Amino acid sequence: MATDSPGKRPTYYEELRAKGYSRRDFMKFCTMITAYMGLQQSGIAQVADALKTKSRIPVIWLHFQECTCCSESFIRTSHPITADILLDKISLDYTETLMAASGHQAEEAMQKTMKDHYGEYVLCVEGSVPTFGDGEYCCIGGKSAVQILQETAAGAKAIIAWGSCACNGCVQAAKPNPTHATPIHKLVKGKPIVKVPGCPPIGEVMAGTLVHIIAFGTLPALDGIGRPKAFYSKRIHDSCYRRPFYDAGMFVETFDDESAKKGYCLYKVGCKGPSTYNACGIMKWNNGVSYPIQSGHGCFGCTEENYWDNGPIYERIPNLAGFGIESTADKVGMVALGVTAAGIAAHAIATNIRKRDVVGNLIKEGKEAEKEL
Amino acid sequence: MNTLSHPHLLRRVFVWEFPVRLYHWINAACIVVLIATGFIISDPPAILSGKEAYQNYWFGTTRFIHFLASYIFLFNFIFRLYWGFVGNKYASWRNFIPSSREFWKDIVLVLKTDIFMTKREPENTVGHNRLAGFTYLLTFFAFALQCLTGFGLYAAMSDWWLPNMFDWVAPLVGGDFMLRQIHHWIMWFFILFTVVHVYLVFFHDYVEGRGELSSMAGGWKFVEEEVFDEADKKHEGK
Amino acid sequence: MSNRIVIDPITRIEGHLRIEAEIKDGKVSEAYSAGTMVRMLEEILRGRDPRDAWAYVGRVCGVCTTVHSLASVRAVEDALGIVIPPNAETVRNIMFATQYMHDHVVHFYHLHALDWVDIVSALKADPKKTSEIAQSISNWPKSSPGYFSDLQKRLTKFVESGQLGIFANGYWGHPAYKLPAEVNLIGVAHYLEALEWQKEIVKVHTIFGGKNPHPNYLVGGMACAIGIDDASAINAERLAMVQKLLQDAKTFVEQVYIPDLVAIASFYKDWGAIGGGLGNYLVYGDLSPNGYRDVSGYKFPAGAILNKNINEVLDVDLRNDSEVQEFISHSWYEYAGGDDAGLHPWKGETKVKYTGPKPPYDFLNVEDKYSFLKTPRWKGNAMEVGPLARVLVGYARGREDFKEVVDSTLRTLDVPVTALFSTLGRTAARGLEAKLVAGWALEFYDQLISNIKNGDSRMANMEKFKPETWPKQCQGVGHTEAPRGGLAHWIVIEDQKIANYQLVVPSTWNASPRDKEGKSSAYESALKDTPIADEHKPMEILRTIHSFDPCLACAVH
Ligand code: HEM
Ligand code: HEM
Ligand code: NFV
Ligand code: SF4
Ligand code: SF4
Ligand code: F3S
Ligand SMILES: [Mg+2]
Repeated sequence: MATDSPGKRPTYYEELRAKGYSRRDFMKFCTMITAYMGLQQSGIAQVADALKTKSRIPVIWLHFQECTCCSESFIRTSHPITADILLDKISLDYTETLMAASGHQAEEAMQKTMKDHYGEYVLCVEGSVPTFGDGEYCCIGGKSAVQILQETAAGAKAIIAWGSCACNGCVQAAKPNPTHATPIHKLVKGKPIVKVPGCPPIGEVMAGTLVHIIAFGTLPALDGIGRPKAFYSKRIHDSCYRRPFYDAGMFVETFDDESAKKGYCLYKVGCKGPSTYNACGIMKWNNGVSYPIQSGHGCFGCTEENYWDNGPIYERIPNLAGFGIESTADKVGMVALGVTAAGIAAHAIATNIRKRDVVGNLIKEGKEAEKEL
Repeated sequence: MNTLSHPHLLRRVFVWEFPVRLYHWINAACIVVLIATGFIISDPPAILSGKEAYQNYWFGTTRFIHFLASYIFLFNFIFRLYWGFVGNKYASWRNFIPSSREFWKDIVLVLKTDIFMTKREPENTVGHNRLAGFTYLLTFFAFALQCLTGFGLYAAMSDWWLPNMFDWVAPLVGGDFMLRQIHHWIMWFFILFTVVHVYLVFFHDYVEGRGELSSMAGGWKFVEEEVFDEADKKHEGK
Repeated sequence: MSNRIVIDPITRIEGHLRIEAEIKDGKVSEAYSAGTMVRMLEEILRGRDPRDAWAYVGRVCGVCTTVHSLASVRAVEDALGIVIPPNAETVRNIMFATQYMHDHVVHFYHLHALDWVDIVSALKADPKKTSEIAQSISNWPKSSPGYFSDLQKRLTKFVESGQLGIFANGYWGHPAYKLPAEVNLIGVAHYLEALEWQKEIVKVHTIFGGKNPHPNYLVGGMACAIGIDDASAINAERLAMVQKLLQDAKTFVEQVYIPDLVAIASFYKDWGAIGGGLGNYLVYGDLSPNGYRDVSGYKFPAGAILNKNINEVLDVDLRNDSEVQEFISHSWYEYAGGDDAGLHPWKGETKVKYTGPKPPYDFLNVEDKYSFLKTPRWKGNAMEVGPLARVLVGYARGREDFKEVVDSTLRTLDVPVTALFSTLGRTAARGLEAKLVAGWALEFYDQLISNIKNGDSRMANMEKFKPETWPKQCQGVGHTEAPRGGLAHWIVIEDQKIANYQLVVPSTWNASPRDKEGKSSAYESALKDTPIADEHKPMEILRTIHSFDPCLACAVH
């Protein structure tokens, strides 16, 4: 078998041509990718160049505390040739979900990539890492997730944290986080990390992020908390087609009411679109078919930190921890207001008793002054 | 205790300059508007209308009013901070910051006199009493926090540099959702403050007879000649 | 002398599964199945709003996405006495069918096929002969010699690049591979086609649930309102899309999946005698055209079979506290009532206590506790759940549609009924039920259309959505037949909050460690006596384990 020195690997362009795609197809693909990355038209040539000269980047894809739906979402990506990512764009050398090898052979494949491509491979992490105890809540091949992450991160060129699990701990990190599920950025220091949150992220967002890294050899521009700006710079709410109903104050009051049938805004049934950053409203899901809101359910904020503890899903104001069942800020506020009003009433009564003479003197003084007039 | 054989001589003092009064009422109006619109934003009423979405905009308008009031509120607040340095001694920043042991002692004294009423005689000050001054300091913090959280939320909806200066706030508290909740919780501070504050203004007017209630309108208070010097010292910042 | 081998990670599954096996005289003498990752979602659910539970438990698994959400809304509706509108039932059934087709096809091609298909051998295939074979087994249009030769070229180039990616280090050339090069090439072609296809069928979920993976559900019905006269709800366009997707799916299942399955199976008939295991089968049942509550209408009938006795099907009651119980004698948990207690899920406990070796480790201490899975038992019996169980129960209950597909397949392959109790039987049963479901999906679609036509556009019953309307204390159970087998969630609601929530999951049944009497569950039992040609490449173990389609995130949760 041929050695895999980077120089010898065929470029994407060569591979595509060999597969029978025309130059035109290639340029179409570049245009699409450029648009996805949120770049100007002028970026197309750059993308095309990059794809013509770069060969397949080795990728190690780890699975820790997760549900594999990030992998599932990844394989849903559906643009012209993105289903061919596995064969043509990256060399996915390790992923428990799809790889042929198991056990020792799987471990060897990973070790080989770590050695042969030290400093070159992209490390993708799906899932959070339980740091409880000796890391015993997630072990693979007898090693803990904590150990595996440290080993594989050392030689990685960059790390992609797939999904909310890797970015913010997702559901297993919800209170009381019994396994100490920890997101990747809290465990790996000194490596560039791209966060691609979502539960799961949109398939095309995942592909788009990878393609950016492949094409430019750099990470995409990131927002304040490390997410690609291309996909996470807008709120769902600002790209939601139901927004006119929001501004018009036309809301769904309960599911399946007349307003729901007419597609009014889902704000009052708990939509978290106003505080959620994702591309759902623009790119939609599964090749543009729909997204949660279009199918009648509010967004519940699956890209945001701690979103599982921001519930209940169907309420706008969350319960306040420590104030008993069903306490929202408003209920606590209402009680505080009642107490205050009672306090004021008591104070007013007390004033008339305790300060009777003070006030009496003022009145007396006033009356005397009146007489002097 | 003074049995008042004869009426007091009252000195008419110009306490609240026009800018302070203007600030006060703009501030009061903004807060009322912000609370009202804030409530609506957090839980809009069900308004049924047969109209199409494009013919309605009341919720957008409500939010617009909230944002408009927010800007006014912010600039008004900044103006007041400025006036704390150039205004008269009653408006000075010194009235708000407990900088001496004596300040703290006075706070306790006011608590005893006004709140728990263990001491009968009025505590004498001309401008803010020291408990009030300190409370306003806390209030200013709340103003600042509410502006921070509010503009932090608003940053995502605006291209202007001013709100965008606040785009670091959301990541700091773990995202827009939490930020919105904090913003919502702080609203309750404003509600409680307003209720207590208005009551206390009436209370002072009633038990002190110095024209507290009207002072924020005309600027004048009436202070007994014999206590004036001692009372006024408290605003010198010593 | 026996030798202990370890396979960890078991790949091409969901989650973290470790198999330790004793090999003696070229056969597995004992096997131990361990789940090595835990999230404790049952603990996390405590105290939360029951209406939200579907979203949390949906995240138990993204491979069998939706099934936990479905079981969850059913459990809550059961507890609160909510009856959902017929349209919602039908939509849930359609989503269920969609999940089946997706899950089974992906399992067959992407998770299981490489145990039978040698892609390296496909390089040697003759495209023309490949085309002839393909056309002889199916009408599927993509079968020209040119198609296969292009594919082969692409494959060659890929292999020559030296970067084998996901195909690196496979057991290529293993003596247990028996397919001719041409059939291997067909397998590879359909591996790639299925990868393309699978992203289409899930669009049914996207339409009704807004996205896939993890579409949205709703206690009381579904959130996707029907608004036939509105662009932003379920209307004629959306429905037409659903119909097209279901039709295409049926075509794919019938013209690609089933012919491939039969073609491949015909070369591996010896596996009709390997990997049978327990012989006890359990099905909760699901998919009634008249709604979930109509047990008699279930297209997958419920029942239990013991000791391969298909002449007697026993009834199953999920509410009876002596039927389904979970044990932890060999699991890293502790019960207030001691390690040997068996708890019905309404009284279930999830207190993890790890007592295994400190990582990194070489072997688990299988005499003691060795897995994060609990061990479920039905009336004390270890049971196998999943496609084989369903097909057997349907067959044993005398259902015509089951009889038809089973008998005709047995005839085609020329194997006896007993061949069903095997690794091959399990893999075949999955295909057969996919074929049945593909047909039912369109029936449900027609049912939805005719119900809407009759003027019923209700999609949710919101009468008891508000917590104020709930009783102070109540409990419920919701079940479904997930792709990997019977799935049920038990919930206890107190003061409008979740007081206890327990999932007993298909892969928990199958992959669990031994019980207190040392009795193995399905995986361990099926691996016994499996012949192993090469201890260093234990492909035979993978075949049998994969035939169950393991999902460990599900199993432990
Ligand atoms: C006394 C001062 C204020 C009060 C009482 C107040 C109150 C509120 C309340 C109750 C909400 C609804 C929160 C929820 O959804 O639960 C809200 C929303 C909001 N407020 Fe304020 N607010 C104040 C000042 C400000 C300021 C200074 C700004 C600065 C821009 C601001 C900007 C916002 C924004 C952006 C929202 C979100 C509106 C939306 O997304 O539609 N607020 N406010
Ligand atoms: C929404 C309602 C109101 C708010 C938010 C509010 C807020 C404030 C604030 C922040 C101050 C400190 C002023 C400074 O910067 O020096 C203040 C002082 C004052 N306010 Fe108000 N106010 C409100 C209503 C009223 C009303 C209705 C009155 C009387 C009719 C009033 C009378 C006064 C007086 C007399 C002072 C000076 C009090 C002192 O020094 O103890 N306020 N108010
Ligand atoms: N076991 C299991 Fe599942 C299924 N099918 C769920 O109930 O895979 Ni994730
Ligand atoms: S982020 Fe969500 S979707 Fe992705 S693995 Fe985690 S739970 Fe699954
Ligand atoms: S449905 Fe949600 S995201 Fe859309 S406009 Fe309404 S609140 Fe915003
Ligand atoms: S819940 Fe997630 S999928 Fe999109 S609409 Fe909201 S970000
Ligand atoms: Mg369980």
